Amino acid sequence: MKKMLRFILFMSILGIILLILELLLIQAPNMNVIESLLDTNFEIIEEKNDTIDVIFLGDSLVYSSISPMEIWNEYGYTSFDCAEAAQIIPNAYKYLEFAIKTQHPKIVVMEANVIFRDPNKRDLKYDISYFAKKIAPIRQYHDYWKKYIDFGSKENWVNVNKGFRYIVDIKPSKNKKYMKKTKKYNDIPKENISYLDDIIKLCNENDIKLVLVSLPTQVAWKYKKHNTTDKIAKENNLDFIDFNLLDLGIDWEKETKDSGEHLNLYGAKKVSSYLGKYLKDTKMLIDHREDSKYDDWHKAYKEYSKE
Amino acid sequence: MSYFDPIYIFFAVPILLIIYNLVPKKVRPILLLLFSFGLFIFISKWLTLFLILSIVSIYFIGIFLDKLNKKRDLLIQDNPDNKKEIKEKYKKYKKLVLILGILINVSFLFFFKYLNFFATNTNLLLNLFKINYQLKVAKYIAPIGISFYTLEALSYILDVYNEKIEADKNIIRVSLYLSFFPQIMEGPIARYSDTASDLYAGNKVTYNNFCSGYQRILYGFFKKLLIADRLNFLVSTVFDNYASYSGATAALSVIGYTIMLYMEFSGTMDIVIGTGEFFGIKIPENFRQPFFAKNISEFWTRWHISLGLWFKDYIFYPVSLSKSMKKLTLKARNLMGNRFGPLVSGAIALFAVWFLNGLWHGAGYTFLFYGMYQFILILLGNIFEPTINNICKKIKINRQNKIYRVFQSIKMTFFVFIGELFFRATSVKAGFGMLKKIFTNFHLISTFKSGEFLKIGLDGKDYVVIFIALIVVFIISLLKEKNHNIREEINQKNICIKWIIYYLLILSIIIFGAYGFGYLPVDPIYADF
Repeated sequence: MKKMLRFILFMSILGIILLILELLLIQAPNMNVIESLLDTNFEIIEEKNDTIDVIFLGDSLVYSSISPMEIWNEYGYTSFDCAEAAQIIPNAYKYLEFAIKTQHPKIVVMEANVIFRDPNKRDLKYDISYFAKKIAPIRQYHDYWKKYIDFGSKENWVNVNKGFRYIVDIKPSKNKKYMKKTKKYNDIPKENISYLDDIIKLCNENDIKLVLVSLPTQVAWKYKKHNTTDKIAKENNLDFIDFNLLDLGIDWEKETKDSGEHLNLYGAKKVSSYLGKYLKDTKMLIDHREDSKYDDWHKAYKEYSKE
Repeated sequence: MSYFDPIYIFFAVPILLIIYNLVPKKVRPILLLLFSFGLFIFISKWLTLFLILSIVSIYFIGIFLDKLNKKRDLLIQDNPDNKKEIKEKYKKYKKLVLILGILINVSFLFFFKYLNFFATNTNLLLNLFKINYQLKVAKYIAPIGISFYTLEALSYILDVYNEKIEADKNIIRVSLYLSFFPQIMEGPIARYSDTASDLYAGNKVTYNNFCSGYQRILYGFFKKLLIADRLNFLVSTVFDNYASYSGATAALSVIGYTIMLYMEFSGTMDIVIGTGEFFGIKIPENFRQPFFAKNISEFWTRWHISLGLWFKDYIFYPVSLSKSMKKLTLKARNLMGNRFGPLVSGAIALFAVWFLNGLWHGAGYTFLFYGMYQFILILLGNIFEPTINNICKKIKINRQNKIYRVFQSIKMTFFVFIGELFFRATSVKAGFGMLKKIFTNFHLISTFKSGEFLKIGLDGKDYVVIFIALIVVFIISLLKEKNHNIREEINQKNICIKWIIYYLLILSIIIFGAYGFGYLPVDPIYADF
């Protein structure tokens, strides 16, 4: 018993030390201490209030295909990848709900795979890592000691990649036709439909234009999914861009990091550029590149282009 | 799957420990076996069948050999006059049974690991002789750890054959010996007499065992996460594309690879041995401060010890002590004199050891080259040892002198670096290319100025972390080498100091570990062998 108590004491002290370290390491300009500790798994917490124009919601396809820094450099719009590995739609809703507490995005772009992923049948490891992120966010932020050294002080920090995962590795696939035309539809788990309605409602209430996309992947997207998403988009009067049917000239022999499932940086540049142009065509956004309020973004781009 | 997966070591294993303590003593070995098989199936799916075949084969072969032994002894008891004949006769029977056992187990290994290499090379030969026939080349995914458990299986039947141990009638114990979950990926290659009885004892997990197990495991994490994983990108980038880098960077990557290999492998062993400690099972050590060795020969008694011992016991001695070798030694003595003559049989046995050792690491010319490289170094060492000793005596160098010992270790480490270069190189040709680059295009200062060292996945801060972590490991190794029992000494300290040490260890892993986005953990290197 005494030993058990000793063990509990040891772990409690460790927990307290970790909390203190988390507070020291995590940069959350918008949040009070408690909130920021609870919500550090939402990376967008690091952005200053009211600075983000566009939010990208979705799974690993988002953080592999869309680089906000490329869009910033080309068009001057600020955006953020609010993406999580194998994101499920309840978590997409949660993330969006959290993001609009401090940001007022004009456009939300959602990757359509989350509509199809069954929240109850997801691989257990994602749930465990989601839980781990929630209770021990330090796993995600441990490397920030480097930022202390790089930027001098916490006030000077900027989030460089804006949720994007900068990966230049190449694991080639083949350039093949992977979208075989069909008239079939892909089923959607029932509860996802109501979550989707909630997301649409949340966007409407906040004057946000919701856009659906499917990002380039030879593995995770099928024509059936395209048909269903297209139908949903039409029913709800949403734009839907299917990158898997567009010809962006993606070279699957060089521009994928894992044999066709996800793009690497080179593929992401093409997608980001196309999306930037789409955002421009909506005429809803302003180019911030000359605005001194957004100097941080220039600083971030400087770091980003060093990578 | 890796033992460093936090879900495995900080979640699944603790749950196992709790259940293990709750169930009756008799059930515990079965629980361990179930968990081991669960893990094996999780990693290797249906290929687990081959593990089961190996277990069943050595179990029955063992019993068969034992029966022959007992029958022989009975016969001798009844007919003491025919002792020699009976012995000879039964030796033949036993040999047949043994060969059957060896064939079964080695054929699985051959099928999964060498068939592809064998077929490719046969095809090359057929082509060379313009024979219009090609063997089918197919690569099969091998059951996890097949190289390790096959050697364990062979050692079991050989030990029964040599009557070092009695065959086990309990198939659960035999199964546990071959499949105990911490050992399935990277060994060590334990002997039946090392672990079997502890595995089956079903001793309770005590608080002390729990703490000491995790103490060891955390040290393994420290080595793997701070050092090995941090070096991974540098190593793979430069080795795969050495032509684009300067000689200095290539040299850095060779040193980096050697360090990474050591930290990954010995760090995994810390986890393996630590996990064994939970259950009171003493898994044999696989490393003993290898870089303090004075020559390559000694290095191999300190690095991957269990593999070296296996080759020593089951290849080197049987070959060098065989009858034909004894005859050869006699002849060689007559021909070459007393100094070099006796070296011949040793050299042949050594060749067999290093040929097989290279092959064990993988079917590929880099591994064979690596084996032959070690063979030549050790052989040269054996041949010139008396000469060097004489020279040292003449110029009055004390070989026990500290400075001389440090010099020896540095020299030895240099040869290890070159060996590991070929071990990791994409081909033997690439290995020589890299070696040439290091010796002809070193340019340390200009490489440093060009910032190339910072373009290979490491920034200045990473170098500092690696450097400090290496110093910590070095100091701990030095203390161990001086026969300090550091773990015991930490346990003796008062609770404040003890906890501060643990907190520092844990926090340094959490903060300075190279994990998460932006890092690529090293795959279990030896699990592929």
